[in-house]
Amino acid sequence: MNAPCLERHLWGTDFNSPVILAGGTAGFGRELAELGCLEGVAAVVSKSVTLNPREGNPPPRIQETAYGLLNSIGLANPGVYSVVSQLHEVAVNMFCPLVINVAGETGDEFQEVVRVLEGSPVPWAYEINVSCPNVACGGHPFGAEPEAVERIARSVAEASSRPFAVKLTPNAGSLVETALAAQEGGAAGVTVCNTFLGMKMDWRTGETLLKKKVAGYSSPALLPLVVARVWQVSRAVSIPVLASGGVCGGEDVLELLAAGASMVQVGSRLMRRPFAPAELLREAKALLEC
Amino acid sequence: MTASDFDAVVREKERIHSGVFRLAFDAPGFLGAPGQFLEMEPCSGPFPMTRRPLTINRLLPGGFEVVFEIRGRGTELLAKKEAGETVRTLGPLGRGWRTDPGRWLLIGGGMGAAGFPFLKSELPEPPMVLLGASSSARLLQTGGHELVATEDGSSGIRGLVTDLLPGIDFSRFAAMAVCGPLPMMRAVWNTVPQEYRHLIQVSTESRMGCGWGVCEGCSIPAFGGGYHKCCTDGPVFMGNELDWNRWTE
Repeated sequence: MNAPCLERHLWGTDFNSPVILAGGTAGFGRELAELGCLEGVAAVVSKSVTLNPREGNPPPRIQETAYGLLNSIGLANPGVYSVVSQLHEVAVNMFCPLVINVAGETGDEFQEVVRVLEGSPVPWAYEINVSCPNVACGGHPFGAEPEAVERIARSVAEASSRPFAVKLTPNAGSLVETALAAQEGGAAGVTVCNTFLGMKMDWRTGETLLKKKVAGYSSPALLPLVVARVWQVSRAVSIPVLASGGVCGGEDVLELLAAGASMVQVGSRLMRRPFAPAELLREAKALLEC
Repeated sequence: MTASDFDAVVREKERIHSGVFRLAFDAPGFLGAPGQFLEMEPCSGPFPMTRRPLTINRLLPGGFEVVFEIRGRGTELLAKKEAGETVRTLGPLGRGWRTDPGRWLLIGGGMGAAGFPFLKSELPEPPMVLLGASSSARLLQTGGHELVATEDGSSGIRGLVTDLLPGIDFSRFAAMAVCGPLPMMRAVWNTVPQEYRHLIQVSTESRMGCGWGVCEGCSIPAFGGGYHKCCTDGPVFMGNELDWNRWTE
């Protein structure tokens, strides 16, 4: 097998880096652009956008554990109408494509949000977050059921003139089945995967610091779980797989590409290293030259 | 000054008292304003996954100083740094004190007074300073005249910093700066007569993910609903920008 190449091609566009900023860790890219941190970035995935504004979960919203980070942000965002009105201003200082991450509380909401986003020339693509709880279905995530994933993908495909990836959840069901369902519904890619469900409890009191009890868990220690899932999914589907989870160094990027990823997202690492994309690319290039 | 990511070199370390450290850093050209903070990386390994937000205690010629208490693994690792070691630092970050003209009243509780020396250096005239701590050993003095309350009575009056407030003529002040644990700041807010509360600025803290405005991890309840981001909307807020009833951590 040949070593992975860092020159990538996705949805008709060539990139000289495989690194994409993961949804929820880069806002809409504006702050990172202002800090001068977009070097090495192929594309930015925005935080989740919903139809109506969401103020997010009550604080505290994040908690470090011994080997990872729990987050319970609650999809805080100003709502799609406000987002669309600000997208042009955001795009002026961005030198890479913007992928808008879309979330919904009902199956119809995804399509509605995409219809509004279609009114803006700025988005390059969408990422559909099916990990959020389905309010009409007792809070069970949409992404748990292949039928629901296919239905949502189909409804987004109807409304969208742009390619979209479905961001899958590792927390229920089979990722291979939900990935195939996304492909069947018309998705142009799948993101593997969202954060893992985690919880930290004070054994003395039975209390959790985070009010929603369970939260999204991220950690470099999760990399092998993501490598396995990317490998399984990329062998099953014919659409690009965007890897997401556990990326901390350049070698992690190469490993995920070797496992079958088309592009690699970096998320929590940005919290500590806003310049992570350039660092990852530099490290990966150095390894390839060895 | 725009934030930048740089290696600060430990110039000297001092253990102020049990679990509380002062670290002075060389960082040529670094500037910042009182109330702003830095995101400092505790180690080069992967954990902890986030940096630690620390208030700029004061600027030094060719550098800066932070004072912090060990709260967990991140601050414990920072406290182990020795002279000559580097710490990856992002900053200055956030909105600091609005240094309005006139005489200030500074009210600090425990570690909350860590940033007061810097604030004092930027004020047009010497402020009045009220400090509270559990004991004299935990007092962070700011240099100059201070009124002090300690819970064990080992320095100043026995009691809380709010016990110093009844004698204060608030009409003499153009602004008030409050920094300390949330219960202390809440008690000050509730004790200051309503007609003077609009003069209060509070320096907040929160668990932070990024420190530069994107992760929305450091939310603080806003007056009128919703949340502020501690990192970029603050960490210093006007007291009346906050919803004191919903704010629990």
